Amino acid sequence: MGYLNGFAVTFRKLFHNTPTGAIVTTEYGGGRGRKHDEKRPKADRVHGRHVLNRYEDGMEKCIGCELCAGVCPAKCIYVRGADNDPENPTSPGERFGFIYEINYLRCIHCDLCVEACPTEAITESKLFEFSFTNRQDAIYTKAELLVGDDGMPKHLPWEDWRPGEDLMTSAWMRATSPSGDADYVGKVAWSGELGYGLRAPESGQTTEGAWPPPAGASHDDHGHDDHDDHDHGHAHGGNH
Amino acid sequence: MSDTAAPTTVAITVNGVAVEAKPGELVIDACERNGVYIPRFCYHSRMRAVGMCRMCLVEIDGGRGPALQPSCMVSVSPDMKVFTESPVTKKAQDGILEFLLINHPLDCPVCDKGGECPLQDQTMAYGPGESRFVEEKRHFEKPIPISDLVYLDRERCILCDRCTRFAKEVAGDPLIHFQGRGNLTEVNTFPDDPFSSYFSGNTVQICPVGALTAKPYRFKARPWDLEEVESTSVVDSVGSRISVQSSRDRVLRFVGVDSDPVNWGWLTDKERFSFEALDHEGRLGGPLMRGNALGKLDAKGDQLVRATWAQALGAAASALTEAGPSRVGVLGGARLTNEAAYAWAKLTKGVLGTDNVDAQLADGLPADVVLGLPRATIDEACTPGGVIVLLGPDPKEELGALYLRLRHAVIEDRATLIELTPRSTGLSKFAAHRLHPRPGEVGELATALVADVAPTRAIAGVEPAAIAAATAALRSGKPVTVILGRTSLAEGTDAIVEAALTLRDGFPGVKFLSALRRGNVHGALDMGLSPGLLPGRTTLAASRAAFVDAWPNVPTATGLDATGILEAAASGRITTLVLLGADPLRDFPDAALAKKALETVEMLIAVDLFVTDSGRLADVVLAAAASSSEVDGSFTNLEGRVTAVRQKVTPPGTARADWMIAAELATRLGGDLGLESVEQIRAELAALSRIHEPLATGAFGDRDGVLITGGSVTVAPRERAVVPKSDAYSYRLIATRSMYDLGTVLQHSSSSAHLAPGTAVLLHPLDFDQLGVEAGARVKVSAAKASLHTIVHPDAGVPRGSAAMLFNQPDADVGGLLDARAAAIDVRVERV
Ligand code: SF4
Ligand code: SF4
Ligand code: SF4
Ligand code: FES
Repeated sequence: MGYLNGFAVTFRKLFHNTPTGAIVTTEYGGGRGRKHDEKRPKADRVHGRHVLNRYEDGMEKCIGCELCAGVCPAKCIYVRGADNDPENPTSPGERFGFIYEINYLRCIHCDLCVEACPTEAITESKLFEFSFTNRQDAIYTKAELLVGDDGMPKHLPWEDWRPGEDLMTSAWMRATSPSGDADYVGKVAWSGELGYGLRAPESGQTTEGAWPPPAGASHDDHGHDDHDDHDHGHAHGGNH
Repeated sequence: MSDTAAPTTVAITVNGVAVEAKPGELVIDACERNGVYIPRFCYHSRMRAVGMCRMCLVEIDGGRGPALQPSCMVSVSPDMKVFTESPVTKKAQDGILEFLLINHPLDCPVCDKGGECPLQDQTMAYGPGESRFVEEKRHFEKPIPISDLVYLDRERCILCDRCTRFAKEVAGDPLIHFQGRGNLTEVNTFPDDPFSSYFSGNTVQICPVGALTAKPYRFKARPWDLEEVESTSVVDSVGSRISVQSSRDRVLRFVGVDSDPVNWGWLTDKERFSFEALDHEGRLGGPLMRGNALGKLDAKGDQLVRATWAQALGAAASALTEAGPSRVGVLGGARLTNEAAYAWAKLTKGVLGTDNVDAQLADGLPADVVLGLPRATIDEACTPGGVIVLLGPDPKEELGALYLRLRHAVIEDRATLIELTPRSTGLSKFAAHRLHPRPGEVGELATALVADVAPTRAIAGVEPAAIAAATAALRSGKPVTVILGRTSLAEGTDAIVEAALTLRDGFPGVKFLSALRRGNVHGALDMGLSPGLLPGRTTLAASRAAFVDAWPNVPTATGLDATGILEAAASGRITTLVLLGADPLRDFPDAALAKKALETVEMLIAVDLFVTDSGRLADVVLAAAASSSEVDGSFTNLEGRVTAVRQKVTPPGTARADWMIAAELATRLGGDLGLESVEQIRAELAALSRIHEPLATGAFGDRDGVLITGGSVTVAPRERAVVPKSDAYSYRLIATRSMYDLGTVLQHSSSSAHLAPGTAVLLHPLDFDQLGVEAGARVKVSAAKASLHTIVHPDAGVPRGSAAMLFNQPDADVGGLLDARAAAIDVRVERV
C-alpha cells in the first residue's frame, strides 16, 4: 500500500488550492482549441526545438562537420557528411550534412551544438511544446529540422507553433561570438538566413570589423578570407 | 657494439635533466625517448630528416652557447644541452606556427584530418592564440585527384616534404614533387602521370595536415567518431600491423601501425583499402542453397536462394557423411585465422578422416619445403650488408610491405640482391645480379651457382659471367637469405625446390624467407591444412600416433594436394568438395581443370564471404565472418610470426566465424570438436603442439607478436627436376600476378576493383623481328590446352625467348593456358 500514499498527495493537491487560496498550478496554454489557448511569453534566449538554417540563396548552411555531434553532452546528434555534387551543391564548399538527426528524447536543450557550429547552421527556435507518441517521431531527421524553401521551420503535427517562436533564432543567440574569440563580443558577425535576412545588431553591438556587414552597415571587406562566393560559413573575423 | 671501444651512450641534458642518448642519435629522437616530445611536421622516424618545416627548433648548446637549431637535423654530442621549453624555443615555435598558418585555410570543419591533425594539435599546444594575418591567402583549386585513391588539396599543404620523400625514398615511385617557387610552391603530380603507386595511401597517413586524403574515407566520419583496435592485416602473408577503425559497427579505415620487425608502419593500398569489402553489398548475410526462381529450395534449381543454417549445415553434413573420407576434398584455408584453421583441420583430419586438404591452390610450394627449410625473419633477410636471393614472386606485386623492407635493405643498408626470377621484378633496378633463367630451369642455374668451377656456357639462358659474379657474391661470407616462393605460375615447383635445396646444400647457413602470398597460408600450413601435415608444424607420418588419442579419426595415408583433388573431382573420384574461401575457377593455375572439377562434383560446398565465381556453382554456400575485423584470432605471417587479429565489428546477418562453422558441421557429422571458444582452441592446440604454447599463454598479443620456430617438418628428398625441352618456335610462358587482379577481396573493394591493369603478352624487344609483328599488334597466344587473343608489347625485362603475361586479369583468361602439372609451358605467339 505504501506507494499509494504518495498518490494521495497528488490527488489532494489536484483538487485543492493552497490555504491562502492562491492557485499554484497554472493552466498552461490549455491546448489548441481550448479556452485559454495562449502561451506565456518566452524569454528571447529560450532554447527550444532546433532548426537547420539555409543561406539566403537557399543553400544549406550545414557542412556535416559533426562538431555539434561531438560536443553534444547528451550524445543525441548523429551527423554524417558527404561530398557535394559540384554541379548541384547542397551547401557551399566540398561537404554537406548528408544525415542529420537529433533525438529529442535525449536532448537537454543546452545549446552547446549551436555554440559549436562553425557555420551557424544549427540554431534553436523557441518552441518546446512538442511531444511524441513513439520513439521514431522523437528522432528528428533532416527532413524535419531543415527549414523549408521559404526559410521557415516545418510545422509538424505534434508541434504547437505560435507566431514569433521561430524568430530571433539565428546565431546571435550564441553565448560565444562566431569566431569563438572574446575580442569579438559585441561585434556583429553572423550570416544572413533564408526567410529572415541578416539580423540587425542589438544595442551595444557594433558592426565595425564584422563580416558580412549587417543590413545598413557600410560594406567592409576587412578580414574576409573566403575564396568561395558561397562560403559564408568560415569563422569570420578570425584568420588563423 | 659492446666489444668495440666506442661509447655506447652519450650524456646530454634536456631541460636541465641529464639523460643518456645513443651515439649518432638525433636530438629529436633522444628527447622523445626520454619523454620530452618536440613538435615536428616534416620529421618521420622512418625517413631521412630534411629539416623542411623548422617546427622542431629548440635551443641547443653544443658548447658555444645556446642557439636555435632544428632538432631533427642535429645529432647528439657529449655534454650537449637542449632546451625545449625555454622562452626562445617557445617564441620560435609560436613563430613557425604563425608562419605555417599564413596560407593554411580554415578548412578544419570540412577536412578529414580535422580532429587528428598535427597542425591543429600543435597550434593548440605551441601556437599563437590569435592570428595577425588579414591578407588574402594563397588559393588553389580544391581537391584534385592525384590518383584513383588519393585527393590532394594544395591549399592545405605545409610543404613538409613527407609525401614526396615517401614516394621517392620509401616507395621508389617518385610521382609527386614540389613544383614552383617561394610562396607558390605546391606539391603536385606531372600532368598525365598520376600518383599511381601501390603505396599511395601511406602518404595520406603521414601527411601532417589534410592536404592528402583518401577517397574511400572521404567524409565518412570524423576522428572522434572512430573506435579502434590494433590488429593484423590478413590481405597478404606479410601480416602488416594495422589499426582497425570503425564507427557505428562499420569499419571505415585501416591505418598502418609501426611494427619494427614487420611493416614499419607502411601498408599497400590493397591492404589499406580492403576494408571496403567488409560491407560490400555482396557480403553474404546467411547461407544459400540451390533453389528455383521462386526462392524455394530445390536441389536441382538453377540459382542460389536463401536457406537457414539448419538446412544448409544439414545438407552439407549429409553430403560429407555420404561421400566418406576418401571422396571428400577441401580446398583453401588461407583466409582463416590460425584458430579457425585448427578447427577445420580437426574437422577434416580428425572427424571426417580425410587428408585431401590443401590450403594452397597449386600456386605455392610444397608444404615440407616451406616449413622444413631453415627459416629467416624479415629482419634477417634485411641484414645490413647481407645477400638476398630472390627466388620467388615479384614482392612489389605480391607482398608490398616486404618489398618496401627489401628495397630499404638494398638501398639504405647495402644488401646485395641477386635475382633468380624468370623476368625482371620491381626490385630489378636495385639488384646487383639479375639472373633470369628460362622458366623451369632455375634448378640447373642453382647447380651452376654452387659449383666450384665457373660454367663455360650459358646455363638456363644465363651468361656464364653473370653466374660467376653471382657466385662470388654468394661466397662473400655475408649472411645469405633466399626469398623463396613461386616465381611464375607457368612453371612447376620441381625446379624451384631443386634450386632451393641446391642453395641450402651449397651455401651452409643460408636461410629462407617464404614468399607464399595468400593471407594466412603459413598459419594454415602450421595448422595442418595441407596433405600429410598435422597441426603444430608436423607431419602425419611423424605425429599420427600423438593425435590418435586426441582426434577420433586421423587419416592413415597422405592425401591429395590441390591439383590432385581437382583431378580426382574432375574424374568423379571425389564427389564432395569444400571450398574454404577458395575460388579455383579464378585462382587455380589451370582454369580448365578447375571448371571440369567444379562441374563434375556432386556436392560443392563453399564457405566464403561472397558468392565467388566458383561459389555460383555451389550447392551450399555457408556465410563466414571475415578474418579481418569480424573475428578474434591470430595470424601467422611468412616468417612464422604469430600476431593477434581482433574483432571490431559484428559480421553481417547471421554470418559466423569459420571455426564455429567447423564445430557445427562436426556436431552434425556425429562428432564433437569440443571447441567452444577461441581460447579453448588455443589451449587445445598448445597441448598438442609445444611450439604453439605462446598462443595459449597469450604471449603473442603484443604488437610484434611472437615468432614460432621449430617444428618437425623436414624436406623430403627429391629426384632431380626434369628440364623441359623447348622448341625454337615457341616462347616460354611466364605468368605472374600483379598487385591488382580479380581476387575476391579486391573485387569487392569498390575503390580498387577497377584497378586491375589487364594483361598483354610481353616479349623482349629483340624478339619482335623474329615474330614479324609490331608493338601493339593483336596476336594469338596458343598453349597446348587453349589459346587466347591479346595485344603484344615489348618489355626489355622479359628475357629473349620468354613471353610474360599477368594471371587473373579481366581481359584474358591466362589461367586457361596453364597446366598445374607442367614443368614449363611453351606458347606460340602469332599475328592474327
Ligand atoms: S541542445 Fe545540447 S543536448 Fe540538445 S542536441 Fe544540442 S548539444 Fe545536444
Ligand atoms: S550543424 Fe553545424 S556543427 Fe553540426 S554538422 Fe552541421 S555545420 Fe557542423
Ligand atoms: S601534401 Fe602533406 S605530406 Fe605532402 S608536403 Fe604537403 S603537407 Fe607535407
Ligand atoms: S621536424 Fe625538424 S625541421 Fe621539420
